[in-house]
Amino acid sequence: MRPFVFTQAQNQEQALAAAAANETAKYLGGGTNLIDLMKEDVERPSELIEVAGLGFQEIKSNQNGGYTLGAMLSNADTANHPDIRRHYPLLSMAMLSAATAQIRNMATNGGNLLQRTRCPYFYETSMPCNKREPGSGCGARNGMNALHAIFGWNEQCVAVNPSDMCVALAAIGAKVQVQRVNGTTRTIDFSDFHRLPGDQPEADNTLQPNELITAIELPKPAFSKHYYYLKIRERSSYAFALISVAAGLQIENGTIVRAGLAMGGVAHKPWKLTRAEEFLTGKLPQTKNFEQAAELAMREARPLEDNEYKVEMGKKAIVRALTQAYEKNA
Amino acid sequence: MKNTTPSGTGNPIDRVEGHLKVRGMAKYASEFPVSGKVYAQAINSTIAKGEITAIDTSEAEKQEGVIEIITYKNAEKLKRYDEELPSLLPDVIQPVLQSPKVHYYGEYVGLVVAETFEQAQYAARLVRFEYRTEEPRIHLDRQRSDAYKPEESSDYSRGDVAAGMAEADEKVEVTYHTPIEHHHPMELHAIIASWENGEVKAYASQQMIDNAAITIANTFQIPKEKVRVIAPYVGGGFGSKLHAKQHVILAIMAARKIGRPVQLTVTRQQMFTNTNFRQQNEQKMQLGAKKDGTLTALVHETLSHTSTYEEYQESCGTVSKMLYKVPNNKVSHRLVPLNLQTPFAMRAPGEATGSFALESAIDELAWKLKMDPIEFRIKNDTQTDPSNNKPFSSRLLTECLRIGADKFGWERRKMKPGAQQEGNWLIGYGVSGASRAAPYRETSSKVKLELKGGKVYATIQMDATDIGTGSYTIITQTASEYLDIPVDQVSVELGDSLFPVTPGSGGSWGAASYANGARVACMNAIRELNQKLNTDEDLSIQALLEKNELSSYETTGTAKPSEAFKKHSVYSFGANFAEVWVDKDTGMYRIKRMVNVGACGKILNPKTAFGQIIGGLTMGAGMVIAEQSRIEPKYGNFITRSFADYHVPVNLDLANIDVVFLPEEDKIANEMGVKGIGELGITSVAASIANAIFNATGKRMRDLPITPEKLIMAEPEPDAI
Ligand SMILES: Cc1cc2nc3c(=O)[nH]c(=O)nc-3n(C[C@H](O)[C@H](O)[C@H](O)COP(=O)(O)OP(=O)(O)OC[C@H]3O[C@@H](n4cnc5c(N)ncnc54)[C@H](O)[C@@H]3O)c2cc1C
Ligand code: SF4
Repeated sequence: MRPFVFTQAQNQEQALAAAAANETAKYLGGGTNLIDLMKEDVERPSELIEVAGLGFQEIKSNQNGGYTLGAMLSNADTANHPDIRRHYPLLSMAMLSAATAQIRNMATNGGNLLQRTRCPYFYETSMPCNKREPGSGCGARNGMNALHAIFGWNEQCVAVNPSDMCVALAAIGAKVQVQRVNGTTRTIDFSDFHRLPGDQPEADNTLQPNELITAIELPKPAFSKHYYYLKIRERSSYAFALISVAAGLQIENGTIVRAGLAMGGVAHKPWKLTRAEEFLTGKLPQTKNFEQAAELAMREARPLEDNEYKVEMGKKAIVRALTQAYEKNA
Repeated sequence: MKNTTPSGTGNPIDRVEGHLKVRGMAKYASEFPVSGKVYAQAINSTIAKGEITAIDTSEAEKQEGVIEIITYKNAEKLKRYDEELPSLLPDVIQPVLQSPKVHYYGEYVGLVVAETFEQAQYAARLVRFEYRTEEPRIHLDRQRSDAYKPEESSDYSRGDVAAGMAEADEKVEVTYHTPIEHHHPMELHAIIASWENGEVKAYASQQMIDNAAITIANTFQIPKEKVRVIAPYVGGGFGSKLHAKQHVILAIMAARKIGRPVQLTVTRQQMFTNTNFRQQNEQKMQLGAKKDGTLTALVHETLSHTSTYEEYQESCGTVSKMLYKVPNNKVSHRLVPLNLQTPFAMRAPGEATGSFALESAIDELAWKLKMDPIEFRIKNDTQTDPSNNKPFSSRLLTECLRIGADKFGWERRKMKPGAQQEGNWLIGYGVSGASRAAPYRETSSKVKLELKGGKVYATIQMDATDIGTGSYTIITQTASEYLDIPVDQVSVELGDSLFPVTPGSGGSWGAASYANGARVACMNAIRELNQKLNTDEDLSIQALLEKNELSSYETTGTAKPSEAFKKHSVYSFGANFAEVWVDKDTGMYRIKRMVNVGACGKILNPKTAFGQIIGGLTMGAGMVIAEQSRIEPKYGNFITRSFADYHVPVNLDLANIDVVFLPEEDKIANEMGVKGIGELGITSVAASIANAIFNATGKRMRDLPITPEKLIMAEPEPDAI
C-alpha cells in the first residue's frame, strides 16, 4: 500500500475542511471497499479522513411518514433495526443478502452507496480500464464480460454497480442527503445519484468533490407486506449477484396500486424498471402480468458477447421476484 | 503384543495439538520470532510472454527501509535445468530470476527486501519494468495443434476398443471440461530463511520436508546436510506445498545476499500466479455396453496443458484403466505447452477430474440402458485390477454402493428426470463411485523413552508434517498403542529435517506411512530392550526399562511396503450420494444432503478421518458449484484473483453430510491396515452432483463448474423430457 495520512476528524466541519484542503484525500467509512482498493493500488488517496465516527448513526422517522437512515450507521445495524425490518423489509432483505456478517458490521450506508464496481479489469492495474485510468480503454468491452452490463453501457464502460442495498433503494425510491464544504446541504434523488458511464466512465455517481453523505431518506413505506429480494449467485452467501431483483408491491382490494421494481447486476447503476412498474400499476397480481412486465423490462437489453444468459435469467428473475413478493403475505 | 489401550488407534480422541492451535500458540512458518529478520516482497511480471528490456529501481531504492532489490541482473547464479521441459517432480530444482525472459503472467521478476513488511510492499510497487511483449499462447483450445505426447506411460490400451464399440448396444460419446482450479490452503506460502556458516535454515510452509531440502540443496548446489527445513505446523497445502517453490529460493537467495534472515510471504493474489494450480482438462469419453449392462469398451482421452519450461501431467485416465471390468480400454494424455505456470498436483490429481468424466459418462450410459446406475456399476465391478491383472488388496466398491444406497434412501429415486418436484424445486438424486490409490512409502522414525516418576514418557520424532490433517494425533495414538502407555505420556515432534526421513504429507500416503513408521520404531524399542534382557517375557515398557536399569532409551525404525503390497493393487474405494434441488427457473441449485461411504482400511481416529472426508467433499462441492480460475484471453492473467471472485463453498452451500466408514481389514496395504483418506472424498462429488442435476432437470452438465448461468442456458437431453 502507498503511504497516506490518516485524519480523524472530530466533527463534520473538520472533515469537510480537511477534504477541501487536499484534492487527493478521501473519506473513510468502514473501509471494506476503499482499503481493499488501496491494497490493489487502484485507489491512491494521499489522505484518509475517517468519517465513520462522526455521528450520523441514527434511524429517525420523519413527519411525512418516511424514515432517515444515518450514513455512518453500519449495514448490519440498519438492516436489523426493528423499524427497518417492519417498514422496509425489502431493504433489510437486500442488505442481509450482501457480503458477510463481518463485512456488514464494518460497512456503512454511505460507503455502500459509493462502493465501486467489481469489474476485474478495474482491479488489475496492468490491464486497461477507463474507469480506473480514463482514456486507457475498456478491457471488458471486448474481453471477459460475462459479469457485465446488459443495459445502459457504451463502448467506454460496460461495468455494473455491485450493491444490493442500492437495488432495494431504487425500488423503494430514496433520496441521498449530502453536506458541502460551504456548509450547505443538498438532496439528490436516488435515480439521479448513480449514473451511466456516458463519456465519463470514471464517475460512478453525481456526487461533487468533497461532498459528504450524511443520510439516506426513505419515503413513506409502501412495500412492507409484499416484497422480495431475489439474488442469483454462484454460492449461497458471500457472492455478488449475477442478477438481482428487488420487487415491492402495494396491493389494495386485490389490485396492484403501486409497484417498485429494480434490478442489480445489469447496469452501471441500480436499474429501475420504470416501464414495468407503470405497467403493473392497476393490474391484478397474476403470473401473466408478471411475465408481461418482465418482457417489457428486458425489451431493451443489449447483451455483450459473454452475458446473453442475463437476458433469460433476468426475465425469470423478475417473474419469480414478483411472484414471491405477491405470495409473501397473500 | 500388548493390548490396545483406550487411547490407542481407532479412538476418536481430540487433536493433541488442538489447544495450541486454538490459543494461537502453534507456530506457522511466518510466525517464528527470528531475530534481525527483514521482509521481502516479490514482484510479478505484468506480461505473459516476452522479455524484460529495462528495469528502473531508482525510485524504490530511495524509499525508507529498503535494503536490497534483486532482479535477474544482480541475482545469484543458480543451477539451471539440464534438459528442456524437465518433469516437475517434488524435488526438482527451482531456478528463479536467472534471465530476462518471461514465460507467464505473474512470473517473479524481482524482489525487494526492506526493514518492514509495509516498506517492502510499497517499494516493490515502485520498481519499473519495461518489456518486449510477445503474443502469449494461453488457449488450450486454439493451441490444440501443438499437443504432444508427454511420455510412454501417458498412453495405455488393452483389447480392441473399435471392436468393443461395434459390439455395444448402447454408446456414449461425450466430452467433459474442467477448468483451472487453485489449491488455496488457508495458510499462505511463507518462509523465513537465513544463512549461517554456509548452512541454510528455513522455516517454511512445506508438505514434504525432505523434498524441500533436496530442492534447496540442488538449486544452490550445496549438500543436503547443509539445509535445515522446519515446518512444525502447516495450514493446509492440497498439493501446492509438496515442493519448495521459487519463493523459497528467492528468500534464501536474498538472505545470503544481505546476510540477514529474510521473511517472504506469498500473497493471496500471488497464490494464483506462483504456487501452481490444477490444470484445465478436456476429457473425451467413449463408452459402450451390451443391453444387460456389460461394458464392452471404454476410451478416455485427455487434453491438457503444461508450461513452456517444465512438464507436468495429471493422469485423468488412470481411473478408467482400473475402476471397471472392461475388456477393451484405451487411455491417452496429450499436453499443450502454454504461457502459464506449470500445473501441479492438487488434491487427488487425476482422480478428482478423471472420476468426474468417467462417473458422469457411466451415469449417461446407465440412463441409455435404462438401468439403475448403481446396478450398472456393480455389474462391472471387479476384484482384479484390469490394468495390470493384479488382485486388489481389498475392494469394497459394491458394498459402498449398496450400503450407501440404503442409508441415502436411493429407492425413492425416480429414473425419469424431473419426476420429483416441490414448489419451484426439481429434486434429483445422483451417485458416483470413488477410488483413490492408497500408497504407502518407506518411513523412518525415532522413539525416545524416558522413565520418570514411575511412568514412561515417549517422544516420537520424524520429518513428517501435519498439514491440518491430524498427523500429530494419529502418531500419538500409534505410539500409545504399541508402547501400551496413555496418550498423555506420548509427545510427537514433526516437521524438522533433523528428524528421520518420511515421504511427507501428500498423495494420501501420510497416515499409513507415519503410523507404520512410528509403530516400527516402538516395536524396535521393545524388541531391543527384550534382547538386552535375553527374555521373551511379556513385560511392559516400564518393566523393560526398569529391568534394564535404564532411565532412558532411544532407537529408530523404518517401515516399508511389503512384497505382498507390490503384488497387489492397493486402493481406497467409496461412493457418494447427493440430493440436489434445482430451481426450475433461476439456475440456482442447492446440495441438500450427501451420504458418503468409504472403505479405506483401518480408521486410526474417526474424528480426524471424518475431517478429511468432509474436507474432500467440500472441495469437491467447490469443483462443481463455483471454483474456476479464468484467464484473460489477451493478457494471459487470471482475472479471478482473490477470494471475492474465486468462489469456494460457504457453509450454507453444504447442508447435511453423512459420512460412513465401512470396517475393512487390509493387511496387504500395510501391517496396520491403514489406507489413504485425504483424497478419496473429493473424487466422487462432482459426478454425483452433476448426475443428480440430470435426474432433476434432464440437463447433462459436462462443463465444470455448473453455474447458474450455464444451467439456465442448457437444454435438457432430447430423450430426457
Ligand atoms: C469480499 C466482499 C464481498 C462483498 N459482497 C457484497 C455483496 O454481495 N453485495 C453488496 O452489496 N456489497 C458487497 N460488498 C461490498 C460492501 O457492501 C462494501 O464494501 C461496503 O458497503 C462499503 O462500505 P464502507 O463503509 O466499508 O465503505 P468504504 O470502503 O469506507 O468507502 C467506500 C467509498 O465511499 C466513500 N465514502 C464512505 N463514506 C462516505 C461518506 N459518508 N460520504 C462520502 N463518501 C464516503 C469512500 O471515500 C470510498 O470512496 C462486499 C465487499 C467485500 C470486501
Ligand atoms: S467495464 Fe468499466 S470498469 Fe470494466 S474495464 Fe471497462 S471501463 Fe473499466
